[in-house]
Amino acid sequence: MAATKKPTKYGSIAAAALALPGVVLHAENAPESGEVALKYLHYNDSQPGLDRITVSSPSIYLLLPISPRWSLEGTAVSDAVSGATPRYHTAISGASRHMSDERHAVDVKVTRYQERASFSLGVSRSDEHDYTSNALSFAVTIASDDNNRTWNLGVGTSSDSIGSTNDANLHESRKTTEVMVGVTQAVTANDLVQGNVTVSNGSGYYSDPYKEPDVRPNKRGHVIGLLRWNHHFSELGASLRTSYRYYHDTFGISAHTISTEWVQPITPRLSVTPSLRLYSQSAATFYFDPIYDKNVGAPYPPNYFSNPPTYISPDQRLSAFGAVTGGIKFVLQADANWRADLKVEHYVQQSNWRIGGSGSVGLDNFYANFIQLGLSRRF
Amino acid sequence: MNATYSFSTKARMRVAASALAALVLAGCAYNPPKPWEKGNLSKPEMTMAGDPLDQRFVEHIYSSKENASGGAGVGGGGCGCN
Repeated sequence: MAATKKPTKYGSIAAAALALPGVVLHAENAPESGEVALKYLHYNDSQPGLDRITVSSPSIYLLLPISPRWSLEGTAVSDAVSGATPRYHTAISGASRHMSDERHAVDVKVTRYQERASFSLGVSRSDEHDYTSNALSFAVTIASDDNNRTWNLGVGTSSDSIGSTNDANLHESRKTTEVMVGVTQAVTANDLVQGNVTVSNGSGYYSDPYKEPDVRPNKRGHVIGLLRWNHHFSELGASLRTSYRYYHDTFGISAHTISTEWVQPITPRLSVTPSLRLYSQSAATFYFDPIYDKNVGAPYPPNYFSNPPTYISPDQRLSAFGAVTGGIKFVLQADANWRADLKVEHYVQQSNWRIGGSGSVGLDNFYANFIQLGLSRRF
Repeated sequence: MNATYSFSTKARMRVAASALAALVLAGCAYNPPKPWEKGNLSKPEMTMAGDPLDQRFVEHIYSSKENASGGAGVGGGGCGCN
């Protein structure tokens, strides 16, 4: 472990964190202690005149050091989902009937630590009554001699099965492969910078069986550039966490995401973290605005039956919009082992908030609230 | 409504610009710490990984309400979220 020149009053808590996973400066050693964490999420979203989806979601995380060279990590989550969503654009009259569903997901990762490298193998599975996803991943980190730079390489593949409660005969599938290359660099004693590039390619069924009309290409790829910069302000004892992500996919969508968090210790045991996230995306090339055929009416665009397009979607998530999330998180480090946290966020999605272009027309705003309550213990 | 199913030169340029910006940022004040100067970098809030359950929640929510997702790692599967 790295020694500090001059211990601070937060030294014991910082020292307790040295064994946490993801600490780039210690990539060659397994965590010295384990951790179990429980979290409960409540989520609800809405648009003017329609309460849409509500989710209650308990989850558990376990980190288990098996030996100085091996660790095991896993999470399990259960989502109870209920509510209704529009079948096209944000039309309330076209909203689905009240539905309820459950999703159960688990992931497990085993990591082997070498002198200056780590190798991780992960598997995950997510089950819903109309959707199943299995994923496999392999990641390598290689640290420099001075432990100030870590190269991150990862490859993942997933296989999804898609069905629909509206169509018992729908049995579709999709396969995706992604590759990530990145580097994390300790630039100064107070600055950590990371850059990642991810490329993904997939083929199979990408249409949404609950939207109408919705026919999407059977191939999709994306490229992502991610930059993250964390800076610690010694005089304030605070840390600024920032990131920028550029995303582009073969549906023609480009998106920008900027996020910032300011972690401010209030007392040696309590910290508060206000956060702000900005998001903007362009529309898919085959998304159509809510302008309907004069004779047939919604949800079909003009000339849909006389000259049907190859690909088409009325999905709000493929439209052009901008979004802002504001949040605040409180973390209470009760002692070296026990920690509790509370996080509250509010999300607003609005067409005219798109950055660098006009948003899609004729859509209602979208609102969401997320609340997280967590408890964890190291052992 | 004609779709283009390959990455544009513009997209490639933007990713390359992001990578270049990272190198420039890293080079601006490059003064890597000695082993005894890494106390601040070891604080949990300074790690890139962060709170694992928090990150999973947030990524899952955004991936179901926005088009873009990913970039920080590999291995996640899809969902039928509405």
